[in-house]
Amino acid sequence: MKSAEPPRFILRFLEWFCKPEYHADIEGDLLEIYDRRAADQGRTRANLLLCKDVLFLFRPGIIRSANIHQPIPSNGMIKNYFMMGWRNLWKNKLYSTLNVLGLTFGMVCFLLIGLYVYDELNFDSQHSKAESIYRVITHEKSPNNEATTVAAAGYMVAEECKQTFPNVEQATRMQRIGRANLVDPENPVNVQEAITVADEYLLQVFDFPLLEGDQRTALKEPNSIVITEDLAMRIFGRTDVINKNLQFSHMDNPVKITAILKNHPQNSSFTFTSVLSESTRYSNKEFMREARSDWASQNYTVYALLKPDANADSVSNEITRLVHANASLEPGTKLSYSLQPLKDVHLKSDGIIDGARNSNVEPVPQGNPIYVTLFSFTAILVLLIAGINYSNLTTARASSRLKEIGVRKVVGAVRSNLIGQFLVESFITMVIAFGVAVLIVAVLLPSFNEFVNKKFSLFSSVGLGFWAAAAGLIIAMGLLSGGYVALLLSYFKPVSLLKGQVLRSGSDFSVRKALVVLQFTISTVMIIGTIVLFRQVRFLNESNLGFNKDLMVVIDVNVVKARSNFDWVKKEMSKIAAVEQVSVTSHVPGDWKTLVRVKLKKQGGGHQLHTAYVIGADKDFLATYGIKLLKGRNFPNENDTSAILINEAAARILGITHGSNEAVEIPQSARGSSFAPVYDDINASFKPRVVGIVKDFHFQSLRAKIEPLIIAYHDNPIYPIDYYSVKIQPQNIQATLGKLKAVMVANEEREPFEYHFLDEQLARFYMEDQRSQTILGWVALASVVIACLGLFGLATYSAQQRLKEIGVRKVLGANLLSIMALLSKDFVKLVLIACCFGFPVAWFGANRWLQEYAYHIDVEWWIFALAGVITTGIALLTVSYQAIKAALMTPVKTLKLE
Amino acid sequence: MKRFQLGEFEEIVLLTVGVLHGNAYGVTIKDEIEQRLNREVTVGSLQVTLRRLESKGFLKSTPGDSNESRRGRPKLFFEVTAYGKKALDYCKESRDELWNALPQLVLNLK
Repeated sequence: MKSAEPPRFILRFLEWFCKPEYHADIEGDLLEIYDRRAADQGRTRANLLLCKDVLFLFRPGIIRSANIHQPIPSNGMIKNYFMMGWRNLWKNKLYSTLNVLGLTFGMVCFLLIGLYVYDELNFDSQHSKAESIYRVITHEKSPNNEATTVAAAGYMVAEECKQTFPNVEQATRMQRIGRANLVDPENPVNVQEAITVADEYLLQVFDFPLLEGDQRTALKEPNSIVITEDLAMRIFGRTDVINKNLQFSHMDNPVKITAILKNHPQNSSFTFTSVLSESTRYSNKEFMREARSDWASQNYTVYALLKPDANADSVSNEITRLVHANASLEPGTKLSYSLQPLKDVHLKSDGIIDGARNSNVEPVPQGNPIYVTLFSFTAILVLLIAGINYSNLTTARASSRLKEIGVRKVVGAVRSNLIGQFLVESFITMVIAFGVAVLIVAVLLPSFNEFVNKKFSLFSSVGLGFWAAAAGLIIAMGLLSGGYVALLLSYFKPVSLLKGQVLRSGSDFSVRKALVVLQFTISTVMIIGTIVLFRQVRFLNESNLGFNKDLMVVIDVNVVKARSNFDWVKKEMSKIAAVEQVSVTSHVPGDWKTLVRVKLKKQGGGHQLHTAYVIGADKDFLATYGIKLLKGRNFPNENDTSAILINEAAARILGITHGSNEAVEIPQSARGSSFAPVYDDINASFKPRVVGIVKDFHFQSLRAKIEPLIIAYHDNPIYPIDYYSVKIQPQNIQATLGKLKAVMVANEEREPFEYHFLDEQLARFYMEDQRSQTILGWVALASVVIACLGLFGLATYSAQQRLKEIGVRKVLGANLLSIMALLSKDFVKLVLIACCFGFPVAWFGANRWLQEYAYHIDVEWWIFALAGVITTGIALLTVSYQAIKAALMTPVKTLKLE
Repeated sequence: MKRFQLGEFEEIVLLTVGVLHGNAYGVTIKDEIEQRLNREVTVGSLQVTLRRLESKGFLKSTPGDSNESRRGRPKLFFEVTAYGKKALDYCKESRDELWNALPQLVLNLK
């Protein structure tokens, strides 16, 4: 009779935990009882009882000790592992170098990009209460449904919320009121600075480290000013200037320096160099009256420090209610508030206007989260490629070590010994690579800093956390890539190892093939990404903007007389031989400051108001910038403040086709985010006539579409002139600049003469892209190099494996080319498969990125073809070295070997 | 006189091994105790006790031949050593001594 079979797992369990010397007879007893029970009580019940019995056997007297299978004490072995690992590295110098090089490349890329990303992610983390500091954001919807989101709020919001809401511990407000001349009265040299006004709590909410002064009182008294070391150095040439006086060009009273701030660290969203105490203005009755009723304006940047356990959403709801209760809003306006955590200010401010600043103050520089993500991904991918490389090379090389593994097993090594040995080997390699990588990073860091415009130093600029994370990742990489090798190689049975039968197993080789495909897929994507970025950046810098940007000197108007006396200045400048044209404007095309916007409509053309940008300019503007006039005429020579030119986009929305004195109405204008009437009288409008239509030109960055634009006469009620644009000749530019300065200084001796070249200024729009392009280019190069190192190793291995085959083929008459083809074929196939995977990914990614630009290149087929040819070519070159070497070998030599 | 530490279950197992003289292995010992004393014995507790008695030197074991009835697994036969016999004797004597010392009165209670 065939007896019932007991469940195997429970017997396996018994075998696993039971002391081996007890096992056989206990199992015998159990089975005897089992059989009897199965006959008496049925199989199910027998099974159940068997399980119960085995479970009751799981007790101290029976369970074997844990290390019963560790015949060799492991601490002695570890020394041996290190020695063997070291010897193996030295024995195969070529492979070891390839391994270490590949890993080093990967780690260098990873560390450099890691530094950059870490810095971007840790913006504004210097403040000890950074977690609880929030920026107040206003969301406004005007009656005609125009939504704006501004990082600003009213005076009373800051004043009231810290008193009314228990969850708000403190609040501070600041205002960047504009640029002004700061002078040391004892040594009057003008220094133009953006001036910030803030209340006394600014230094309490934030931890701006002070060199001198008291953070509790520094901004308390009227006429106090806090300046940074850097500004102190520029004005005084030293930093021990506390309690000294400074003079503002526009203020009667001198201000006293009450504290010196340390320079802002590079990862700070705050760039101010001087802070004037808000109390300076408290004596101004007009200011106080306005401030007391200022609930809903967007004139102040407000930061709130919440209690540690407070909920930001509920506080922002309370603020919204508070403002609605107190402010008198225009009917139809919707207003709500939200709180943005300080740590989001740098990367997550997309779509939030940086408010509460004069339009001549540059907005806070923003980080681009897309690039941060892109970089993080590439850094990890490169590390991944390097890890794969290691696994691939080591497994490929394993054939030469199979005998060693076999002997080890026979002598008594268990699997864990072998795994330990391979892991130690991979760690030795990782550590060497890491050391070399850190050295290389240290060497490269200065040029890298210059390039990304940051000030990293290897150890001081990032915390211990960064290095811990980097070390952790590298250990993880060692475990993963070394672990795969270790598990694979320790798996084989010793007998077959010693017979030399293994590594024919198909699965191993296909894993390796898959890894090569993955490596080259990543490389292909990166190459395509670099080409697309490169072409887009070149397109941005070289595309025809519709005006002439070359050899254009733009001089800022910084003193009153440079504005009022511009006719004289222009005339004097025109006299310089190298000057071709001079024009005065309120803004320049491609201005980095906020352009002024207006609401306008055609007179008698319905009630709907359109939005357009405004540049104020004189009659020489079109000639200086080479902007084409399509219809109508230029500004007349005599003062005619009511003439305007419009661009094609504006002509379209206004429905103007001729430019023959069509009248338009401009009731409102906005210098920042909110529109206000042009004239004091709310019902009055600026009513100019359109005298001409100009061809569209890119007055903003190419990310944006060309918007409607009005070119008003320089003497317009909306915005005064702010720049001289001087078109010069290419010869001897320095001398020309000197002469221009002489003219400006002759006009007003306090003139600081700030100038820049328009083309350089425009390039700054795309600086980030340029930077990314270069970084991505290097990373792509590194990834290709690493992948090729791997391929080189694999090719060497496969050529060695097939030496005999090649010998036979040569004897039978194969020529050099056919043998090269034989060896290269497999690898080229892999690279081609990788291209098939890489192309769609790259196509998708590139298109997504290009959508950011209103004007961009198309992703064309030849980019893919080029990337394909590059990768295949490089792979072929790598492989062919080995192929040629193998093919040139004398067959006698290889066949003789046995 | 040397003192022997013998628990109740240990004593029973030791005695049973003696009773089964020559045919004492896991299953028979378990069956014997279950039949005679009408109590449930798990393989786990029995095995632990057997091994403990063996390590104390009260029992010794000899592996038997493997045969078909147990799917090729060998039996492990136990027998009581002289030392084990001594322990049993000591156990019985000490009990008897206590019994004898017990006043009649106590036994008549009920």
